[in-house]
Amino acid sequence: MEKLGGIFNPSSPEMVVMAGLTYYIIAISIGILAIIVVAVTYIVIRYRKGSKDSSEPYQNFGDLRLEIVWTIIPIAIVAVLFQLTCSTMRAVDPPIGDHEPDVVVTGHQWWWEFYYPKSGVLTANELHMPVGERLLLRIESIDVIHDFWVPELGRKIDAIPGHTNYIWIGAGEPGIFLGACAEFCGTQHANMRIRVIAETQEEFNEWQEQELVIPSTPRSGIAAKGAELFQTKACMNCHTIVGTPAAARIGPNLTHLNNRQTIGAGVLTNSPENLTKWLVNPQKYKQGALMPNMKLTDSEVNAIVAYLEALK
Amino acid sequence: MANNKMLIGFFVASESIFFVMLILAYVNFHGTVTDGPTAANSLDPLRTGIFSLFLLASSFSMWLAGRSLVSKNHFMMKIWILVTIILGVLFIYGQASEWMGLIGQNITISRNVFGTTFFTLTGFHGFHVCVGLLMLTILLGLAMFGDFKGPKSDGVECISIYWHFVDGVWIVVYSVIYLWAFF
Amino acid sequence: MSTRIPLVPENIKPLPSLKGNEGMLSWVSSVDHKQIGLMYLMSTLVFFIIGGLEALVIRIQLAQPEFDFISPEVYNQMFTMHGTTMIFFVVMPFLIGVGVYLVPLMIGARDMAFPRLNALSFWLVIFGGILLYYSFLTQSGPSEVGWFAYAPLSEKPFSLNKGPTYWALGLLAVGISSVSSGLNNIVTILTMRVKGMTMRRLPLFVWMILVTSFILIFVIPIIASAFAMMLLDRLLDATFFTPAHGGSAILWQHFFWGFGHPEVYILILPAFGIISEVIPVFSRKPIFGYSFVAGSTVAIGLLSVGVWAHHMFAVGLGNVANAYFSLASMLIAIPTGVKVLNWVATMWGGKIYFATPMLFATAFIIEFVMGGLTGVAIASAPINWVTTDTYFIVAHFHYVLFGGSLFAIFAGVYYWFPKFTGRMMSETLGKWHFWLTVVGFNMTFFIQHFLGVMGMPRRTYTYHDLPYWGSMNLLSTIGAFVLAISVIIFAWNIIWSLKHGKKAPDNPWNAWTLEWYTTSPPAVHNFNLVPPVRGRRPLWDLAHPDQLDEPNSKVV
Repeated sequence: MEKLGGIFNPSSPEMVVMAGLTYYIIAISIGILAIIVVAVTYIVIRYRKGSKDSSEPYQNFGDLRLEIVWTIIPIAIVAVLFQLTCSTMRAVDPPIGDHEPDVVVTGHQWWWEFYYPKSGVLTANELHMPVGERLLLRIESIDVIHDFWVPELGRKIDAIPGHTNYIWIGAGEPGIFLGACAEFCGTQHANMRIRVIAETQEEFNEWQEQELVIPSTPRSGIAAKGAELFQTKACMNCHTIVGTPAAARIGPNLTHLNNRQTIGAGVLTNSPENLTKWLVNPQKYKQGALMPNMKLTDSEVNAIVAYLEALK
Repeated sequence: MANNKMLIGFFVASESIFFVMLILAYVNFHGTVTDGPTAANSLDPLRTGIFSLFLLASSFSMWLAGRSLVSKNHFMMKIWILVTIILGVLFIYGQASEWMGLIGQNITISRNVFGTTFFTLTGFHGFHVCVGLLMLTILLGLAMFGDFKGPKSDGVECISIYWHFVDGVWIVVYSVIYLWAFF
Repeated sequence: MSTRIPLVPENIKPLPSLKGNEGMLSWVSSVDHKQIGLMYLMSTLVFFIIGGLEALVIRIQLAQPEFDFISPEVYNQMFTMHGTTMIFFVVMPFLIGVGVYLVPLMIGARDMAFPRLNALSFWLVIFGGILLYYSFLTQSGPSEVGWFAYAPLSEKPFSLNKGPTYWALGLLAVGISSVSSGLNNIVTILTMRVKGMTMRRLPLFVWMILVTSFILIFVIPIIASAFAMMLLDRLLDATFFTPAHGGSAILWQHFFWGFGHPEVYILILPAFGIISEVIPVFSRKPIFGYSFVAGSTVAIGLLSVGVWAHHMFAVGLGNVANAYFSLASMLIAIPTGVKVLNWVATMWGGKIYFATPMLFATAFIIEFVMGGLTGVAIASAPINWVTTDTYFIVAHFHYVLFGGSLFAIFAGVYYWFPKFTGRMMSETLGKWHFWLTVVGFNMTFFIQHFLGVMGMPRRTYTYHDLPYWGSMNLLSTIGAFVLAISVIIFAWNIIWSLKHGKKAPDNPWNAWTLEWYTTSPPAVHNFNLVPPVRGRRPLWDLAHPDQLDEPNSKVV
């Protein structure tokens, strides 16, 4: 049997607590539901009217003691649930204090920007983090309301323009955790996905160093042509490539696109073939995305792909 | 029938929630404007206050119209309704000239949140006053043709309840927009 | 001694209609509450079929991962229109319409207090529906920002199409309609009860309509003001909800849910009323704990306005606010639980006749408890952080609104159809309808609880092929088609029974409230005579003069 995701695979201390509370309440709910189902089933069998019986049953108008009993029992259950709710909330959302955020998450229609203020790394859609560390994320939005959500690692938190939110997030084990935008944010809400890559501290440091390298611009061959096209074909109006004049932050930073696993916020896996298909017509794979079909010729596409692949 | 007055009573209660929400929107943005027009730097509480007195007085004259109805003094009832209409129109004139002045200074509904909330709140109130004036005019017209001889009339009493409500809303609106900004 | 007193002639004059209340023209001109009630019911059936087709389109698109049946824009339009239609043009007008038909009959009145206002309410719903659906003819189609229309997505520059404008205008018309029918109901119930019908003897359905009407008149203005602000933003460039210009995106949510949560009780309380009429009649017992059923409704009505931000736990309002809204929301479970247990206790010890209305009412109890329990779970903020905006929520509110409101609506249709039309509905088709609905409904929505906690977000037109997601969604889609078949049977049952149904006697179910005293269907003037009202069950008292409800029994 394949492994179920989400609440069935809680992978962070926060998620373990929340999943525990959920299981607990589901167990209580099943108990209550069972009582009602059994009672109704019993009634349906026991109190069905006989086909020849036309007499009226005993006319019972109510019972004050019963009413009191079945008012008090739910009050007791609610009191317990409320107590558990508060303790879970404290565990999941401890005070921020004077911590500086480890990552600033910015929602865009329809991709995520991740900025690591301590190191200066700026990347998109893939959040790298060291296992066992609890990171503080600051959640913002540039346009409409989004919601940052990685089901196996923690809670949902809205990314709201004009309003800053924080969450704590950490992964208990290494691995790739899939997430997505959870607040409807327009046409491509479905394709606004998140990948959390939880890795050892060494791997994380290595990744961070790679991200900070300023790649050299290719001087010759097809890649050099691509570098030129990137600056002349309007790519630079939206995207950044560190070390070149392209510094716009409307679309994702493409400096280390090589290091990423997907393109288009999770629409396609990242490979030269897929990148080519994407550049030919992004609207085919992500209809309504803000990146238009640039109407590039095949050779232009190949040149730009070669350039992006050459950025190391 | 008591039905009509009960209807207008609950209607007014329902309407007051509508105004509470508009006022809450105004309150929510109070003090968030850092540059551009605000209540404190663009409004004239004294001038609007004087025009507000006309509206307050019109509530009083409407009450007198009701009294005349009860005492079956048809002539005085018509006079007091007419006075109410005149006072209401004066208030609306005050509102309109205030709006024109603001718009002349390029303070509009789209300028900033102050403009947005101010024009929406005063606009909906002004709209309610105009509806009241329309109803009062119809009332007066019918009275001219001999209706409402008293001592009771649901028409007069219901419109009177509505008019007092519109007046009451203005007291709150004036306090929130003008008094809060200046005192 | 006379056992009958003549109806107090509230309104001897003919109703103020253009050309009377009979004949073809009456479909436009009538102000008779019964005809308007039927017009409500017929139009909701049409909207129900439209909204159902939209749901099928949604389910087809989701039948497989990465499926390509419709474009993302069309998908977003479909779920926006499905939600809006089902809430504002099906469940709400159905419950208001059935109330308009039954309230005057149940309290022994000639008509509503304001017959013309009643007609206005109906025609405003139709007008609103036309405004909403007209947006399909505009260049970029209807609104695609969801029934909740969160700002700033619903604002310029993110929604430049006209869809949301028509949407807001249409719903504003429905809002005015709802307030006016709420006012009309309140005045009717408070002032036009027949002699002897005290508030403590009011049929529970009327109690629920009364509480619902109070909720209507106090919460519809909240959303009306929000729609006004949204329209000002969209049409005059006001800045209420545009953060880029100093507005607030969160303010819209407070306003929307300030209305939106009480709206849930508007959609369920009259359904409780239907259940509270059907269960006693078919169990042959009075409702167990009348005062507690009525009183818990008032409690729900009061609590309903203080819980809105449990829709906003992911917004980041802070732990204090989250704790308050968790607690307040959980408290609603208490009066709701009291109701459920009273229904069960009513059935206990009865002699139950399982005709179709009772089948739906019995299933209602279980489906609704299911939705209620998940409701308590998601009232807890941490669980809400896990489940909100996922298919878990979709499953939850369909258990409440379909398993709850719609099951009750079906029960009500089968129960009162003989009174409305003078003919019985087919029991055979009714049973087919019932079982296919139960199977289709649970097949469609039960599995969605699992999809939700496994991480499938709502409102997504496509999803990756993650383990089991495809097969679970396919199961849900098949369930939706079973439901579609059940709806076809239901519609056919109505049409067939109108012509060929067995002739209905005045009181086919041997029920106890006043509407069963008059002819089926009732004459335009409702009653020639009404029996004396000496208790909660006037027709029981009439049939059992030696065993009156109130003098001899301890009535709770």
